[in-house]
Amino acid sequence: MNADNEILALLKLNAALFFNSDKADALLSHYGCAEEVIKLTAADLFAEGIFTLDAAAKAVKAIRDFNAEEELALAEKNGITILSRTCPNYPRRLSAIYDPPALLYVKGSHDKFDMPAAGIVGTRQPSPYGLRLAAEIAAGLVNNGIAIASGLARGIDSAAHRAAVSAGGITWAALGSGLLKIYPPENRRLASEIIDSGGAIISEYPLQYSARPASFPRRNRIISGLSMAVLVAEGSFKSGSMITARCALEQGREVLALPGQAGNKNAQGPNYLIKNGACLAETADDIIACLPQEVKISIKNRACLISKKKNAIENLSQDAAALYALLSKEENGLNNDEILLRGTMNVPQASAAIFELEASGLICQLAGRYVIK
Amino acid sequence: MLAKILTLALKGIDGYFVSAEVFISSGLPSYNVVGLPDAAVKEARDRVMAAMRMSGFKVPPKRITVNLAPAEKKKTGTHFDLPIAIGLLSASGNLGTETAEKLKKTVFMGELALDGSIRPVAGILPMLMALRGSSFQAIVPSGNASEAAVSGITCFQADSLKQAIAWLNGSCELVPCGRKPFSAAKDSSLDFADVKGQLFAKRAMEIAAAGFHNILLIGPPGSGKSMLARRFGGLLPPMTESEALETTKLYSVNGLVKPGSLIGSRPFREPHHTISDAALIGGGTNPHPGEVSLAHNGVLFLDEFPEFSRAAIESMREPLESWKVTVSRVRESVAYPARFLLVAAMNPCPCGYLGHPTRECSCTPLQVSRYRSRISGPILDRIDIHVRLAPMRYEDWQAAPNGERTEQIAARVLKAIEIQHKRYGASGASASNAFMSAKDMRRHCKLPQGASSVLEAAMDRLGFSARSLDKIMKVARTIADLAASEEIKKEHIMEAVQYRIMDKSDYGGF
Repeated sequence: MNADNEILALLKLNAALFFNSDKADALLSHYGCAEEVIKLTAADLFAEGIFTLDAAAKAVKAIRDFNAEEELALAEKNGITILSRTCPNYPRRLSAIYDPPALLYVKGSHDKFDMPAAGIVGTRQPSPYGLRLAAEIAAGLVNNGIAIASGLARGIDSAAHRAAVSAGGITWAALGSGLLKIYPPENRRLASEIIDSGGAIISEYPLQYSARPASFPRRNRIISGLSMAVLVAEGSFKSGSMITARCALEQGREVLALPGQAGNKNAQGPNYLIKNGACLAETADDIIACLPQEVKISIKNRACLISKKKNAIENLSQDAAALYALLSKEENGLNNDEILLRGTMNVPQASAAIFELEASGLICQLAGRYVIK
Repeated sequence: MLAKILTLALKGIDGYFVSAEVFISSGLPSYNVVGLPDAAVKEARDRVMAAMRMSGFKVPPKRITVNLAPAEKKKTGTHFDLPIAIGLLSASGNLGTETAEKLKKTVFMGELALDGSIRPVAGILPMLMALRGSSFQAIVPSGNASEAAVSGITCFQADSLKQAIAWLNGSCELVPCGRKPFSAAKDSSLDFADVKGQLFAKRAMEIAAAGFHNILLIGPPGSGKSMLARRFGGLLPPMTESEALETTKLYSVNGLVKPGSLIGSRPFREPHHTISDAALIGGGTNPHPGEVSLAHNGVLFLDEFPEFSRAAIESMREPLESWKVTVSRVRESVAYPARFLLVAAMNPCPCGYLGHPTRECSCTPLQVSRYRSRISGPILDRIDIHVRLAPMRYEDWQAAPNGERTEQIAARVLKAIEIQHKRYGASGASASNAFMSAKDMRRHCKLPQGASSVLEAAMDRLGFSARSLDKIMKVARTIADLAASEEIKKEHIMEAVQYRIMDKSDYGGF
């Protein structure tokens, strides 16, 4: 199996079956590689029993017609990475859902998808309240080292992305169109800001694919698939956000909702979710509280890196930095003596290092053990 | 008819002259003692009578009055037996007139056994000290000879009443109490190298010994608190002769001086936590020094500190502040010196396992805070160093180095102490950083450049009070002295902060 040919084959397969990624997934796992799949005739496909004859013929035609070489060249030219399911950088959480995309087009950093992330979705016609809260919560989350996943749509999505970017955090936008046909067009600038700040824009659609109504609900599963929890900020009963919430539930993600004013149309969706057992979220902490314990701990460690604490860590003396490194390896922290025994410091050095770390708020002591805050 | 024999008595740890006056008159045979005798002195009659008979003297069947002057002071103890017996013999004319000269310049002390031999008594040394500068000589029980020798007074040891009388009559010579040269002793069987790990605690003890800072060890059972405390005395400098004399005096009052010379090694007192407050600081109807005074110039180790009664803990305030204990009674008040170094130990919580890596603590937060609050703020204020001892995991225990020997640490401590003696222009424990006055602190604890940020962080972020900052600076001074540094440096302060954990705002989490 040739890697280049395989990626070309995958591009073809994806272009034909992005609306049926579960079927593409089934074919891939059955035949082992995309190269084999694209060699199939319509009859072969029909014989697999998952397509109608008509659909099989359409798929084979689409595979044949799609110019994968040109797509690959276009991607290279625009600095777009293509992640197949076998790539180590393919988001692990997304890969675990029922119908993961056969491949992802990614523009921006594609090596951080496994960091803790939360989705924030909402209506395209938000109230000032919704915009403000979505932005506050997004900023709060990125300050704790959590990435924000959303859909780059107008309204709540944009507000969340923007807040994340201006707080210096990482945010991912999953598009309902090809990466070269960013929709809505006014968010092109926001998209490049997202990329510049270490985030990424993502799509499973071919680069030149234009958005159409049916493509948005599909990308919602990517938003929730990238996240550990999804916050629905505002949205009516039948909005796209509710689809995202449903996807999140199907994928076993935590669903949270920002409560709205009763009677308000935008409050229908979130309030309905709350009535049915979703967590009520007013602050970023409410979302963090829903994340798994080990994530909370790692969030705290990473939070240091992106917020003010980064500064403190950079300014540490040599001993303090060594102690900090030592402590970050120990989940239960270390006591006085363990610090001396595991490290190379003597008592005065260790005392000074402990003081420095305590005074700069990087560690605290619990029952005699020093732990990373 | 009348005889006057000189002897001594104790008030606190000071001796004073008592003359035992014996008057024999005709009348119905009787025996009376006046001059506020206690039961032991009253009982002297039976011992004296028997001893005299057994020594071959006759007791005249007459009216006998014994007065212990000054009569308004309470007399306690059994050492009046010998002077009373000699007085009786003198008054009844059993002694020749040539003895009068000797009687005038000799003081007698000793308890008589029924067979006429002389038994050792308590308080010989402090009583004899009252004779310093005078030309008196003393007859003491041979069992107290070594103790008497160090007083610097001419003393002779007597084994029996008969022998003492023979000496008075000039028919025999008594053995003078020979003085052994003083040598400070150290118990070398306990060594810091025996304790594995616990480097923080060892360092804290080094600092405590160097600056005479009281220290509190906090740790779960089995973490080595007692082991470390028992080795602590080895870090202190050897006793000087004057210190040994002070300590021996106190031991003598309680009759605890063993045959030998002065108490040459620093005392280590370890009273049980059920001790009463009177036993701890001294007292009783006839006041006696308590454990704090017996630890004078040495170490007082209070294990399970919060388990001591509230009264006992609080009674330590005075000795910890003024290095003496005043026991006041209606009739008198006596002061005993008590300059000791307190080593207290406690568990982090009642069950002991709070913060233990493997065992679970079964205490509620309320129990924990109640346990800790038994040590009140004023007492905690007088303890400069608090240090936490950690239980060790097996792999750490195995890998832990044995550490330094006591003598290595003691050598550093001694250097730091010499620096302090030079600085304060004095010697002894009172010339220590722990006893710095506010004026001394202003002079010797100047804040180094750039260190105000350290103290600011300590106050703002770690919740230290202004008062604990004072303690931190004192301990930092000692750390600087250990490093032979003229100025206190920033790192000294940062280390000192680590020894004030109970003042920290997160102490609640322990």
